[in-house]
Amino acid sequence: MESAYENKGERDLRLLQLRFIGKILAGFTHESKNYIAIVKESAGLIGDMIQLGKNSGDDQESYLEIIHSIEEQIEKATNLFRYLNRFSHRMDTELCTFNVNETLEELIALITRFANQKKISLEKNFQQDIPSITNNPSLLQLLVFHFLEEQLTGLAKDSSLMLETSFSNGSVLVKIIARGNYQEAESEKGLTNNESHVYIIDQLRGTIAKENDLISISLPVSLS
Amino acid sequence: MSQTKVLLVDDEVEFTVSLAERLQLRNYSVQTANNALEALGLVYKNRPDVIILDLRIPGMDGIETLKTIKKYDPTIEVIMLTGHGDVHSVKEGMSSGAFEYIMKPVEIGELTSKIDKAQKKIKEG
Repeated sequence: MESAYENKGERDLRLLQLRFIGKILAGFTHESKNYIAIVKESAGLIGDMIQLGKNSGDDQESYLEIIHSIEEQIEKATNLFRYLNRFSHRMDTELCTFNVNETLEELIALITRFANQKKISLEKNFQQDIPSITNNPSLLQLLVFHFLEEQLTGLAKDSSLMLETSFSNGSVLVKIIARGNYQEAESEKGLTNNESHVYIIDQLRGTIAKENDLISISLPVSLS
Repeated sequence: MSQTKVLLVDDEVEFTVSLAERLQLRNYSVQTANNALEALGLVYKNRPDVIILDLRIPGMDGIETLKTIKKYDPTIEVIMLTGHGDVHSVKEGMSSGAFEYIMKPVEIGELTSKIDKAQKKIKEG
């Protein structure tokens, strides 16, 4: 029989996951619409230059520049689609062997817009040779997302958030390091609280340590 | 007839550059800004007639920027630009003095029609 802790933990976890997915989709659709808007304006500009009489031989360079800009936007959009696709497939199986760096890189790509909005830089410093771990990648993304979201809410503009990974004593460490000043506490409308963090890290069989501007998540290489 | 002075504010540089050129080809005088502070600087320095303002710009919330502009000069007309069906923000913007709103991706004909309506309103005082 499930304990009250597990029941509540699972219920809260589902809500957190839905909210997380909603946020990621909101950022993704906003970003996608921006790319489409730029492509549309660029294509419209070529049409205007032809239709409104500004088409001389000298304009060839301008056309090429605009076409290059369209290609760049399509490439950016394709990368974003790729990240969202990988993110979606993280939920295919509860447990799998994955690379923590790739999982976090994907998360960063999908939430950079939120950081940019607040003029907070989101940086990464990953140890390249960390071993793959067997765990739940989607839950790890959820946990890191909530810590980042908390920091993004609290930090003042022009601050920075560094995401670091390393391997030490048989565990993979994920560190979130905040640099900058905190603004007056904004009311957090989210559902995340310490209880949720504890429940998630229990599922991941890891540990969390918080110390001033540093949050460390330690994960075992294998759950066995 | 004097050109309508338009200030285009959006954080996407490529978007503002292309749209500005398209508006210039239609005989509007256009300046661009990619964040709220830059936009306010241009408002104080070179008072535009109409501002196309993205609701989500870095540096200051779009609605706050709108309120600051309207407080500085209520006769400047602001058309809000939104990339999403953000009904709440649009309502808040309209009640804060915005003239109109337009969704991204922009239909150039729809945008110029709204700019012209805003300019007409300014002239009719």
